Amino acid sequence: MHISEGVLSAPVLVTGAAFAAAGISIGLKKMGYEKIPQVAVLSSAFFVASLIHVPIGPSSVHLILNGINGLLLGWLCFPSILVALALQAILFQFGGVTVLGINTVNMALPGVISYYLFSRLVNREKKLISLTAAFACGFLSVFFSGILVALSLLFTEQSFMSVAKLIVVAHLPIMIIEGIITLFCVAFLHRVKPELLGGIYGKAT
Amino acid sequence: MEKRHNSTMYLLILFFASIIIISTSLPVLAHKVIIFAWVEGDTVFTESKFSGGREATGAQVLVFDRAGKQLLEGKTNNQGEFSFKIPKLTDLRIVLNAGMGHKAEWRIPESEIREAGGILEKKRAGGSSQPIDVGLSKEEIKKLIEESLDRKLRPIVRMMTESQSKGPSITEILGGIGYILGLMGVAIYFKNRGKKR
Repeated sequence: MHISEGVLSAPVLVTGAAFAAAGISIGLKKMGYEKIPQVAVLSSAFFVASLIHVPIGPSSVHLILNGINGLLLGWLCFPSILVALALQAILFQFGGVTVLGINTVNMALPGVISYYLFSRLVNREKKLISLTAAFACGFLSVFFSGILVALSLLFTEQSFMSVAKLIVVAHLPIMIIEGIITLFCVAFLHRVKPELLGGIYGKAT
Repeated sequence: MEKRHNSTMYLLILFFASIIIISTSLPVLAHKVIIFAWVEGDTVFTESKFSGGREATGAQVLVFDRAGKQLLEGKTNNQGEFSFKIPKLTDLRIVLNAGMGHKAEWRIPESEIREAGGILEKKRAGGSSQPIDVGLSKEEIKKLIEESLDRKLRPIVRMMTESQSKGPSITEILGGIGYILGLMGVAIYFKNRGKKR
């Protein structure tokens, strides 16, 4: 879902970069001393996830993991995803440096939205609610990302609906897989470290 | 503090376990699209792939001249290939548009087309060729050599396309993770310094 260099026009790139800068500054402000390792680990996970391809469907799609990033990091997923995307652009030539801003927003904003939608639900005692919310979080984060990518392509590809449909259909398998991954992560964390699910900003300095 | 340390440890273990699983069980694949083009005679052949080996089928290919004017467009076939006759002797810029924000381009300089004996050769033919011992004109021999070279080089060109589309290596992946851990160290350092003051 990385947008390549040279696809988007300058205004779209600038807008994307501005949004990204805003998100990152919020993220950095909220990043407490103790949260840094957690951000780094999830950033690495995001960095590696893009190498796992799922050979289902019409296009070339890979894992994204922005759902679990957002769920565990909230706004901190902006810096986390920026770092991972920058390294992907430099080392793997995915995306690119000029599109870094817009790509960061496309991936991180759905994560933040999922954080506000699901982090409370995931924290519930009832297994059913918590795990359903976790699945929905993984599923919908990818879905929102697809919508955002289609939105950013609006000015180059004209028909928003057809592009959005194409992206969403291509990523349907990924959405389901990410839902399941998020579900297992949450189930695992519930057992070993429930505090991690209790919101990221608790002890921010 | 103890507890927090634990939580990070859990995440780290989980993370490295998953990396080991990934790197052993799955072939390393990348995610970008590339187009590769070469000239044979008066035709340009292109191959388009998502790196990771999957062909970009049915993708739009646009060909521009030096001034940025569009010369022609077409779609890749089931093998991700597309070929066209050279419409004009100029630098060609071939742009692949695989949709969903995937785009790649390849340039063929004018000199390469000239060397491949494209359009220009035909215009020149028929004039001042000098017959030599074998009974073939210089031009004909040149053409024969070029044709057989094209044929012989095709597998090599293909190999180059393959190697171009190779995904990132394990060094790059581990390097990236190293960068992230390094950044983590820097971030902790600065936060820590702020605290002490």
